[in-house]
Amino acid sequence: MRYSDFTTYDLLLLAQGLGVTIGLFLVTSLIGLVIGVLWGVVRFYRIPLLTPLITFIAELLKNSPVLVQLFLVFFGFPAFFHLNVTPVQAAVVTLSANTAAFIYVIAVSAIESVGREQIDAARAFGLSRWQILRHVIAPQAAAFSIGPLTALLVNQLQVTSLISVIGVMDLAKIGATLNLRTLKPFIVWAVVGLLYYLTAKLIAAVGARYETRLRRFSEFRGL
Amino acid sequence: MLKVENVKKAFGAATVLDGVNLTVSPGEVVSILGSSGSGKSTLIRCINGLEKLNGGRIAIDDFDVAKPKELAEARKRSATVFQLFNLYPHMTTLQNIALAPVEVLKRPRAEVEQEARALLASVGLSDKVDAYPAHLSGGQRQRVGICRALAMKPRYLLLDEVTSALDPEMTAEVLAILAKLAREGTTMLFVTHEVEFARQISNRIVFLDKGVLLVDLPTEEFFAASGGLAQPRIAQFLSKMKKD
Repeated sequence: MRYSDFTTYDLLLLAQGLGVTIGLFLVTSLIGLVIGVLWGVVRFYRIPLLTPLITFIAELLKNSPVLVQLFLVFFGFPAFFHLNVTPVQAAVVTLSANTAAFIYVIAVSAIESVGREQIDAARAFGLSRWQILRHVIAPQAAAFSIGPLTALLVNQLQVTSLISVIGVMDLAKIGATLNLRTLKPFIVWAVVGLLYYLTAKLIAAVGARYETRLRRFSEFRGL
Repeated sequence: MLKVENVKKAFGAATVLDGVNLTVSPGEVVSILGSSGSGKSTLIRCINGLEKLNGGRIAIDDFDVAKPKELAEARKRSATVFQLFNLYPHMTTLQNIALAPVEVLKRPRAEVEQEARALLASVGLSDKVDAYPAHLSGGQRQRVGICRALAMKPRYLLLDEVTSALDPEMTAEVLAILAKLAREGTTMLFVTHEVEFARQISNRIVFLDKGVLLVDLPTEEFFAASGGLAQPRIAQFLSKMKKD
């Protein structure tokens, strides 16, 4: 067997890379979801200083390349503040923040999609802001946001491939390693691409399942 | 007692309410008449605290609606039925009605839901308990809106042009319910274009014109030639409403 031949060990490597990609995707999506929704709630309450600050941070994160953000977190901040940051830590921070910025946008749109007249009615009946958010806005905002959220998560899965450039052994990095060893770029990148595609389809399927459930719940919309 | 004292409200340069005074005592039905843009709906929105006042004072049973802590108490004593129903579309009729009594008045859900079912039955909607607003006609939605307000057991029921979005048949459905409430002694402040209906159920009629309260008279006096009709603006309004 030549050094450049594929082995069963390569399958294990690909599985390991896929595991790292999915793991980081899940962790950063969850952190991003919590932070993005919290930012949306802060904006709903119109908390002075905090709301414009969050909007500014979200604008920066949305309008700069993820790769630049990643380099800043991995190379820039550690050099400036004399910190030790591992590639995985940099990946988690960068991807979580980037996801949060986009989820913030979805959360704001979802909150604003709820008719003003419903909020007026709830206020006139004496419901507090929190009660309005919980009972009137959140259920409708969730139904509104599930589609854009699924699209965002599928996109964020692809974005995880950027972390390979700082040395995280994710699926893209494993692909690059296998490519260097086997010198069979078509097969390697086709398999890596297929694995990304299947994972994206899985995310879309989960999203569609939730959407169906929420549509049943939001039959009123006539969707 | 519901007191509106020298209330002023403006949106930018446009003055919508200009020194309005009004008192509604328990058991009274007071109708507010006036052409579109006269400030009727804004007055209701000021009373339930949805709009901030530029001047004057509104108190519901001595709770000042301009003071946040007192507004909560004032809102427990009044309930609004809206022109465009303003129901929560993701909730069933039962959930729409039960939300505020459970969350605001902190009453037990089972008890509230039992009362909500009885209210729905009283307006002929006992088969619509689990229906969503989108599956109801306009008249049915407004009846749910009335039940939602009554579930709060308000001392003052505020009605903002509750039939203006309905066709004549649905209007009749809703007016029949309001007439029944008036007979039962429910205190109502009723913004309407239904002049004849206002005449039938009201103790007093208030006329607003360009944000100014022109008259506040007992119903019979309002329609008397020597009373409200003596005012050219009111005579013109009533004559136009008759033609329409």
